[in-house]
Amino acid sequence: MALKGLDIFKLSPKTNCKECGSPTCMAFCMKVAQGAVSIDKCPHFSEDAKAMLNEQTAPPMKTISVGEHKLGGETVLFRHEKTLVNKNLYAASVCTCMDEATVDAKLSAATVVDYERIGERMYVEMIHVANTQADPAVYAALVKKAAALGRPLVLECWDVECAKAALEVCGKDVILDGATAANWEAMNALATAKGIVLGVWAENISDLYDTVKKLEAAGNKNLVLDVTGKTAKETLANAVLVRRTAIKDGDRSFGYPSIVNLAKLCKGDARLETAYASMFTEKYASIIVMSGMSYAQALPLYGLRQNIYTDPQKPMKVEAKIYPLNGADENSPCVLTVDFALTYFLVSGELERSNVPVNLIITDASGMSVLTAWAAGKLSSSTIKKTFEELDIENKIKNRTLIIPGKVAVMKGEIQEKLPNWNVVVGTMEAVQIPKYMKDKEYEAAAAAVAAERAAKAGTVVEEVKELSFDELLATRVPAIEVVDMGVSYKGHNPDAQTFVTIGERIHCIAPSIRKAMDERDPKPILERAAQQIAAGATYLDVNIGPAEKDGPERMMWAVKLLQENFNNVPLALDTANMKAIEAGIKVYNRANGKPIVNSADAGSRIGYIDLAAANDAICIALCSADGIAKDNEERMMHCDNMLERGLSLGMEATDLWFDPLFLVVKGMQDKQMEVLEAIRMFSEKGLKSTGGLSNNSNGAPKDVRPIMDSALVAMCMMQGLTSAIVNPNDRRLMETIKSCDIFKNHVLYSDSYLDL
Amino acid sequence: MSFTPKTQPFSGKINAVTLGTGDSAIVIGGQNVLPFYTFDAPIENAPKIGIEISDAADSWDVAGIVDFYAGCTTMAERAAKACTLADADFVCLNFESADPNGANRSTADCVADAKAVAAVATKPIVVMGCKHVEKDAELLGALAEALAGKNALFMSAKNENYKTVGASVALASSQKVGAETADDINLAKQLNIMLKGLNVPAESIVMNIGTAAVGYGYEYVASTLDRVRDAALKQSDADLQMPIIAPVSTDTWGVKESTASEADEPAWGCREERGIAMEISTAAANLTGGADAVIMRHPAAIATIKQFITELV
Repeated sequence: MALKGLDIFKLSPKTNCKECGSPTCMAFCMKVAQGAVSIDKCPHFSEDAKAMLNEQTAPPMKTISVGEHKLGGETVLFRHEKTLVNKNLYAASVCTCMDEATVDAKLSAATVVDYERIGERMYVEMIHVANTQADPAVYAALVKKAAALGRPLVLECWDVECAKAALEVCGKDVILDGATAANWEAMNALATAKGIVLGVWAENISDLYDTVKKLEAAGNKNLVLDVTGKTAKETLANAVLVRRTAIKDGDRSFGYPSIVNLAKLCKGDARLETAYASMFTEKYASIIVMSGMSYAQALPLYGLRQNIYTDPQKPMKVEAKIYPLNGADENSPCVLTVDFALTYFLVSGELERSNVPVNLIITDASGMSVLTAWAAGKLSSSTIKKTFEELDIENKIKNRTLIIPGKVAVMKGEIQEKLPNWNVVVGTMEAVQIPKYMKDKEYEAAAAAVAAERAAKAGTVVEEVKELSFDELLATRVPAIEVVDMGVSYKGHNPDAQTFVTIGERIHCIAPSIRKAMDERDPKPILERAAQQIAAGATYLDVNIGPAEKDGPERMMWAVKLLQENFNNVPLALDTANMKAIEAGIKVYNRANGKPIVNSADAGSRIGYIDLAAANDAICIALCSADGIAKDNEERMMHCDNMLERGLSLGMEATDLWFDPLFLVVKGMQDKQMEVLEAIRMFSEKGLKSTGGLSNNSNGAPKDVRPIMDSALVAMCMMQGLTSAIVNPNDRRLMETIKSCDIFKNHVLYSDSYLDL
Repeated sequence: MSFTPKTQPFSGKINAVTLGTGDSAIVIGGQNVLPFYTFDAPIENAPKIGIEISDAADSWDVAGIVDFYAGCTTMAERAAKACTLADADFVCLNFESADPNGANRSTADCVADAKAVAAVATKPIVVMGCKHVEKDAELLGALAEALAGKNALFMSAKNENYKTVGASVALASSQKVGAETADDINLAKQLNIMLKGLNVPAESIVMNIGTAAVGYGYEYVASTLDRVRDAALKQSDADLQMPIIAPVSTDTWGVKESTASEADEPAWGCREERGIAMEISTAAANLTGGADAVIMRHPAAIATIKQFITELV
């Protein structure tokens, strides 16, 4: 196991001298643990400590570079445990045993497969050149020919003289797969002299291990292991045992990438090679040598590889562009959706089934699904407009019908405004309804109606809209607030108290009734939900006004005033993708019961929210992820440190950053729950505050089970030092658990009636 | 110091489930190691291959498949022919035409087909429904009754219809039932618990944990397979120790790689070879991940996977 940042920190000088370029020793150690910087950057680490760390921080499996490719470096056996990092490569093989015509045909065939799939170039990355004879000139000639393709080579050659001759005619992007129990010293000398990777092969796995040990003792750790056995069965055994020994048992002598030679095992049966290549793509070859690679083989194999090496915690994205389907041209209508790969496959598949020529426009939405992207502000009329401009769609396509996903029908007006020359039509809710929808041509009538509407409006003069200041907006666009007696009053909050802070999550635009109320500035549904949450004991209320691209500032000012004036200045968390709206909300915010909370920043595209909070003396929820879920606590803590550093440099108090570890769903990420709890402990140990959407853990669980899961988790979290959570305060079991935990934590003095307080 | 491999047999074991009767019966499952990890412990029963025939097989237009079934016009004739393929261990009847959103063949017609197949089939039978949960609830029960005594497997009982399907197939007709979920390990476990709750014996349940052609979100299938096997073997989770069957052909023959004509994709070459490769690759990936049986269509692809399995166990 790699060392954790905290373990390294224990051995560090702890002087925060900044000579390494990092602000603190802690930050430096986190980066070392990440592998982002070398320990040698610190001039004050003792040599003993360094040597010990260099040994211990070495990953279980080495990353070996050949040309631009990286091999190995894996830390887990199964992709769901974390992720697999360096995809296997495919090589096409030629051999001295082939006649010249065969070699020429194979070499020219090796470059035929070359295409792009979901942003990745698919081609035969390496050429494998096998030697089966003793004449150095013959082998060198073949290697020279193969080298002319300009792709890295694997030289399978156990004859030292032949190898020597071959190395003289090729560059350095080469693996010399030549070391055996018999010749390792000579081969090692050749590889080290040239500075190239040495491949090791042996009759059996025990000899392979011994030979690696000898090479390591001789100082060479730039190795790959040729695990090809006499049969496929033996080869699988070798591949698995080598990888398992390295990763599970931590024996680094088997911690090298591996080569599997299917050209040798399958004797030219291309279909059998496809079968075995599929298996070894999953387990555990780094280079798979094939006798050739046709499109028929490449299409499944590269697709499989792309799937297996997808980071399970990062969504797979397709490129934002126009995809003409069913022979579509510039006169075909456009269908728009997001860049999440599964959405793309689903939608394009259904569109193809409709047989209607259509231009599928994929817009950048950070690889999220339609609704998630909308809620996160990643799919908005602005992002769509940006896509249209960047792809120059208006000039490329003459048809003006634009069909948007039914799930974001609410965006129709805004998109129509941003793309005034188009006829925006709302499509289906689900992909399965697409073929019928397209075949029935329902969209044509709808588009015609929009066009007619536009034509009718064309005569009217559009008023020049001047951007108003917040004060002007407040004066002209924010309706007066009427104070209504809802039968509850907010009891007040002492920001210095240690008690757990609950942030009520029920005023959220994902709820249709709230969305409507926000749109219409109808106080009633909002006040009702607020009253319920306050009665249930919420400390803060979250106010999510949706992406609110257009009228965000006046919306937020209205919502803030509405809630605070009605409920004794209840403190609020302001939640929207529109930063201006948050700023406007803070302008009218009353701090009597605590600072406003900005919800939320992250270490990626929303890092600017920290600046916003700092500039407005607000608390900021800081999500410890950049794009997608952090892969482990090293990454979470790195994000934490970066955001902390940024906040402090802008003059924030450390305790005004509330770190969110990002709570994960049990159904799906059960094995990561303890990591989240550990992250909370790490925040707490640094003296930092924390929060998060705790009930996310029980998403998808039965209604009657959720409060039980949430309560159990909140108790565990509070034990770890969680100081706040975004919750549904109407969940009585949860609120009672929190109050009880506050008793045990000695934050509130016990009385028999503590639950009623 | 030399290397001695550490073996890793588990105390947990996959249930051994018998399909068919008499000499032609086959057993799937039974192992206590990961797929093909013969170096950890012997594999009790080699994974099995089913050959798919469908009531919509008239639309299959790939030469190798058309030629194989030359002269066959009925499902029974195709089944009889399929049973002659030595590489196939069982025959799979796909009643896709029963889907009310498609041809909506009647249950009675399907039952008649199944009976005719039963009269000629010399290998165990697996039945695939039409994917429509309400129709399947009716159809699978009727087919299970029609195939009484065959010890056949009926896919699929889903979350929406497991009560009807489980009761009619496994309880009333004493056949085997397939529990189908889509890349959701929690639901896979829950469905098995619910079926057992109906008094369906654990040894009568086979799982289909979700399918996809390689390249089409197969990572979800791969990780679900990994996690199901991890729970079954390492955690000895009795509710996930059912063997796994993976219908491969129904996915792989529908994707672009297998359907696009040579005129549409000139660079890709022979369409039939592409279809075969998609089927081989997806089957091999499923077997490597933990499938105890795969359902395939093309005789050439089946031959390759048969060789793959034989060489590995």
